[in-house]
Amino acid sequence: MITCWQCKKELEKGLFCPSCNALQSPPTDYFTFFSLPRHLSINIEALQAKFYDLSRKLHPDKYSRKSETERANSTAATAVLNDAWRTLKNPITRAEYLLAQSGLEIGEQRSKDVPPELLDEVFELNMALEELRHGDQSAKVELATAREKFQAMLAASDADLENLFVKHDAESCPPALAAIRAVLNRRRYITNLIRDVDKELS
Amino acid sequence: MAYSDKVLDHYNNPRNVGSLDKSSADVGTGMVGAPECGDVMKLQIKVNPATGIIDEAKFKTFGCGSAIASSSLATEWLKGKTVDEALTIKNTDIVNELALPPVKIHCSVLAEDAIKAAITDYKTKKGVAVEAGALAVH
Repeated sequence: MITCWQCKKELEKGLFCPSCNALQSPPTDYFTFFSLPRHLSINIEALQAKFYDLSRKLHPDKYSRKSETERANSTAATAVLNDAWRTLKNPITRAEYLLAQSGLEIGEQRSKDVPPELLDEVFELNMALEELRHGDQSAKVELATAREKFQAMLAASDADLENLFVKHDAESCPPALAAIRAVLNRRRYITNLIRDVDKELS
Repeated sequence: MAYSDKVLDHYNNPRNVGSLDKSSADVGTGMVGAPECGDVMKLQIKVNPATGIIDEAKFKTFGCGSAIASSSLATEWLKGKTVDEALTIKNTDIVNELALPPVKIHCSVLAEDAIKAAITDYKTKKGVAVEAGALAVH
């Protein structure tokens, strides 16, 4: 049983004691912090409203005359609030957060999650980038075409992700997480490439 | 973080940059990548059909200095080895030779993966070629 640090009464989940309303030490888990189920599809408007509401309620200025414990809790809770909001509002960082918690960090694995045909494309695109850097202007057309293709691939991965999020939330199944990781890996590759192409074409 | 002299040497004078005929039956091609850093590495071997020894190895890597040095070194080591000997090259050998720092160990892993992928491709081709030959005889 967890009790309130101030009135020692039993706590329900939540940041404030239901009996004396004292601010408690915040949970570090972002989903728990916002009292959300561990889902990947999130209503952003509702989350944002919660974020603004908590920003006001937890602001350290409101605790400047309170006890040392509550001042410390306010600082800690505000820090978690900002990190949690920044992480959860973006579908990519949200999925990466959930993956990391499930021991499926991005970047810890190797080429196995990248389909070979994508590697070929990546390689060809890098060749074209190199030609352009060496002054071959004809590579520009090739790059512009490639950029369109990769942007379409990015849009396709985002659609894949959305479907996988729904699947994950319905079943909370590890296969969905593994599939999500594969898409995120592909996506990261593609965004890096588009960034490189943009830099050369600008 | 400073690169070791050996990494700089391979980076500034990469050995065996280029490509071999992908469609040749004696050539194995390995293409690997690391999504985290966006690196992509192509490594090819050409096996002498008479001796079974790798007589040519080429690479082309888009990535950091350590990734380029790792694959450059790998091609040097591959030449003169049999396919089975080549499989004994470990990423730790590359780490030691190039004095790679811990944050760059994944580059050596990528090079080892590329060697394995190239050999797998070569063996697959040979397997397919043998079957096709057997079929032709029947």
